[in-house]
Amino acid sequence: MSNSKIMEDKELINLWKAYDKKLEETLSINKKNAEEITKLKVQSFLSSMKPIKVFTIIIGILWILFVDGVIFIAYQAGGIFLLISALIQVILTKLAIGIYIYQLVLINAVNINDSILATQEKIARLKSSTIWIARLLFLQIPVWNTFYWTERMWTNGNIWVYMIHIPLTAAFIYLAFWLFFNINYENRDKKWFQLIFNGKEWTPMMKSMEVLAQIEEYKVEEEIIAG
Amino acid sequence: MMPDLKSEKFLTVLQAHKGIIYKVAHAYCKDAEDRNDLVQEIMIQLWKSFENYNEQFRYSTWIYQIALNVAISFYRKESRRQHIANPICEGILNYADNTATEETEESISILHRFIAELKELDKALMLLYLEEKSYKEIAGIIGISETNVATKIGRIKFILKQKFLNVKQ
Repeated sequence: MSNSKIMEDKELINLWKAYDKKLEETLSINKKNAEEITKLKVQSFLSSMKPIKVFTIIIGILWILFVDGVIFIAYQAGGIFLLISALIQVILTKLAIGIYIYQLVLINAVNINDSILATQEKIARLKSSTIWIARLLFLQIPVWNTFYWTERMWTNGNIWVYMIHIPLTAAFIYLAFWLFFNINYENRDKKWFQLIFNGKEWTPMMKSMEVLAQIEEYKVEEEIIAG
Repeated sequence: MMPDLKSEKFLTVLQAHKGIIYKVAHAYCKDAEDRNDLVQEIMIQLWKSFENYNEQFRYSTWIYQIALNVAISFYRKESRRQHIANPICEGILNYADNTATEETEESISILHRFIAELKELDKALMLLYLEEKSYKEIAGIIGISETNVATKIGRIKFILKQKFLNVKQ
């Protein structure tokens, strides 16, 4: 069968049929191993992801309780810098927990018997929402440099306090907001992005963003066709 | 259905449609060990869904839907299961290469390469097209309109034709 002929639709399908026939003749199923599957108490499709999400939510709630305690003490003691830093931190943590809860809802909503677009959109949204957690994490950077400040430090401090802390905090704030707004799928090919998200643990997130972009493309075309 | 009967029925369905699972796994997974994992995961999810199988669909349609859904999202490497097959080297599906004319073999290999280069959703569309599923059936499996199926398949075929032409040159 020449490659030129393959250009014809029928030839393409005939080639696939030849492959199919070959598989029929050569593919065998290991019955013993297949039987093992029917004896398994299997989890639903994404259930294995649940425990770590639940664990993170519990830890997050404990952390919130702790920081809320710090806020209360700071409020009583009049520690304005600690109070503001802790407030910002706790708000961001609560948002992150919200994302984890959203992910749990998506895990339960995924039905593998649904159409590919519906199922994959939920899975991709689930995995790609991890990027929001990363963005919130970076947004916290400045408060880790401000929570220990005291009023006395600024009123009685020497020039070096101003020289070091103001530019440093300004740089942290700039970096935090810059990362918050720039960590997105469009920047995936940038070197700084790949440096941050360079590990196997980020592969599912990156891949899911890719799939999500494909789904969006499909949906846009669907809308165009529907007029 | 009694557990034993259910299991027997499932194995019969699996036996009859093992080719679909292999083809999907082969299209989405280049690495042989990953492919074994994918085959195992597809079979596990098929077994899990077997009870809810809707008889209004053909087994092949049902298998394609689940196999493609599992394969497209198989980047979840953090949630790997234990291997069922022991020793690991022996998978659930075993493929013994045999004779096929050299030319056909080469063309199949080129076709595989081109399919592997397609994006995940386009790949699913192309596999279903090559399986000669009707546009209506493909639209149901993918979740888009028949018109969109026709447009997209036309576009993918055009790309494949171009690639084959380039190989020829």
